[in-house]
Amino acid sequence: MNTQILALENMLFTITMLLYFGSMVLYFVFIAVKRDGISRVAVTLQVIGWCLHTVALICRGIGAGRLPMTNQYEFATSFAWGICLVSLFFVLKFHFSVLGAFASPVMFLIIGYAAMQSKDVHELMPALRSNWLGFHVSTAIIAYGAFGVSFVLSLIFLLRDKVQAGGFLDQRIPDREKLDGISYRSVALGLLFLTFTIVTGAIWAERAWGRYWSWDPKETWSLVTWIIYAIYLHLRIRRGYEGKAAAIFAVIGFLCVLFTYVGVNTFLPGIHSYA
Amino acid sequence: MQFAILLLAVLAIACSAGSFITQGQTYDWYAKQYSERAAALILALHLDDAFHSWWFVLINVFLCINLLLCNVLRFPRLKKRMETEMDAEKWLQSTSGETAQKINRPEEVFLRLRMPKPKQIRTADGREILFSFKNRIGLWGAWICHFGILLLILGFGLGQMTRKQYTVYGVPGQTKPIGDTGLVLTIDDFQVDLREDDTVRQYTADITVRDMTEKTDGEIHSEQAQISVNNPAFLFGMKFYQNSTGWAAQVSVTEAGEPLQEETLCVGEYLAVQDKPELVILLNAFYPDYLLDPVGGPMTVSGQLNNPAYLYTVYYQNQILGMNALMESEELTIDDYVVKFSRPQSYTLIQIKKDSFTWLAFVGGMVIMIGLFLAFYLLPVRVCAVREADDTWTVRGICKKGGTIFREQFARAVKGEEENGGER
Ligand code: HEM
Repeated sequence: MNTQILALENMLFTITMLLYFGSMVLYFVFIAVKRDGISRVAVTLQVIGWCLHTVALICRGIGAGRLPMTNQYEFATSFAWGICLVSLFFVLKFHFSVLGAFASPVMFLIIGYAAMQSKDVHELMPALRSNWLGFHVSTAIIAYGAFGVSFVLSLIFLLRDKVQAGGFLDQRIPDREKLDGISYRSVALGLLFLTFTIVTGAIWAERAWGRYWSWDPKETWSLVTWIIYAIYLHLRIRRGYEGKAAAIFAVIGFLCVLFTYVGVNTFLPGIHSYA
Repeated sequence: MQFAILLLAVLAIACSAGSFITQGQTYDWYAKQYSERAAALILALHLDDAFHSWWFVLINVFLCINLLLCNVLRFPRLKKRMETEMDAEKWLQSTSGETAQKINRPEEVFLRLRMPKPKQIRTADGREILFSFKNRIGLWGAWICHFGILLLILGFGLGQMTRKQYTVYGVPGQTKPIGDTGLVLTIDDFQVDLREDDTVRQYTADITVRDMTEKTDGEIHSEQAQISVNNPAFLFGMKFYQNSTGWAAQVSVTEAGEPLQEETLCVGEYLAVQDKPELVILLNAFYPDYLLDPVGGPMTVSGQLNNPAYLYTVYYQNQILGMNALMESEELTIDDYVVKFSRPQSYTLIQIKKDSFTWLAFVGGMVIMIGLFLAFYLLPVRVCAVREADDTWTVRGICKKGGTIFREQFARAVKGEEENGGER
């Protein structure tokens, strides 16, 4: 364990949080005063924040001598990193700054949750010392990040009608069909990676405990999440983008993600209770 | 598909119910936790073992039937689509897709849409067509995903029905039978690898398994392996896992100075003294570095054997005679009998299992991932260009699952704008 590197990580984490906060405030100002220049600054702050966040995670990894994804703090900060990455991807690819405005509070809440967790570095118990852990958790971070973004997109989809036609926001938010298209891509990314997460978790559980599936609450809830997004896909095919049902399921899906991540540890006992 | 959505929703609700209600408890436990009414309801609905209940199995059976029918019905349709969608002429007769006219250099549109090199076709009426189809395999994504789910459920279900599981625990030197398999397991060595801060890095056991059933060649077959957490071994068609550990100690009993019995007990085990049915000793717990905390009771300060203490219960003539902690050098005297504990060591708990269908479930998982990848990332795109009488081209493109995003890409491609990011 290298305390200097961990101290650096601590500092970078705080700066990252401030940058995310600053970027969130600027996004709000952008919407309030309707000036595109401000959104560009917000995106820039988010990009810088994400880069520092990446360095912070690397420092954490070096400092702890392992992948920084094995307790509530490490996973929460990685989760915020994942949402930031996926939302930046969609913001830049589709020139969609308003998405950043909606995603930044979610990101900030999650990194704030991380800040409230204990940052102590603990040695890993033998069962956690597996290469599969790396695959399992890193795929979960991408999946959760993508679901976070689809949640935000679905909220925008559901609120799209409330936007004044022809107004500033109306011109900066894609129409419902395109919103649905982007959200679908985000769910698709999330579902593929969630499947990866579940499969790698099962392979690891099989090696560590001799059972690849034991209906432990965290496993069960990841399955529930998986099923909710499967329902989303089928509702979407059936109703097309006109239907709100799919968007509602994408919102429920992310609530399940949050429950799987935070709620299960808090309310339900199981072998996953360490993370 | 309506029914499929309903089934999936019911499955999700069933799973969440099973996770909220603590599984595998008794009526009294539920009555205390919730209420008597709720407890009766939980047991009546098998919610105490939701994931193995008849209705949970039934939901899955329905799901499988639904998926199977869906896949069987869709197979010929998909096969046909693979062919009809290759037919550019037929497509041109319809109006589906995006169309752009008066294009001078169609090859560039193909290039910008990242299409494979188009094929040149001449139609029956002599028109020149360029046609390119990418990600045709993507048509099969949903089908393959559904097929994977079927394999997964099948593998999981068969595994549940046929799996066998045994546990063996003991200290180095001991040999114990593995259930009814006819095999015996010898623990040759067991090591607990500690870090400097006393936390465990790894548990490692060396084991030998022997087949004691009669063989025609008269030999006893044996296989050896080293197992540790996350590194199981495969012996005699079964998988051996280093599962957990605990403390064990030697207990010796003498009667009037004469040795009566000496045995290794793991924590939680009883010693029934031979020929002396009145005397039974239970090793309740072991503390390597004992401290009697006035508030918290007995505890251990570290994992090191600095001050070993044995917590025992003695039953004498079917009565609990006493329960106390005994230090390493102390003796316990009951009438003529003297009991001593010594040689604390770690025992290992080894789990042995045989599940011949695990591979099927994993193949299912892999197939699902391939299917999802095909469905989401290999969206079938068709583009074709027709040479008109004035030597310009009319270009047509379609990506059924691409929605507006494809339409915009197509518009950009025909306008000649740089594609940034490409088709995903
Ligand atoms: C009873 C169960 C199910 C039935 C009857 C069913 C049926 C269908 C049907 C008819 C389609 C349309 C096919 C197409 O557009 O090519 C479809 C699409 C799909 N299904 Fe299912 N399905 C079931 C369960 C599931 C589950 C549990 C998943 C898990 C993720 C799943 C994943 C998909 C995917 C990925 C697609 C393609 C969606 C897209 O491309 O947007 N299905 N399903």
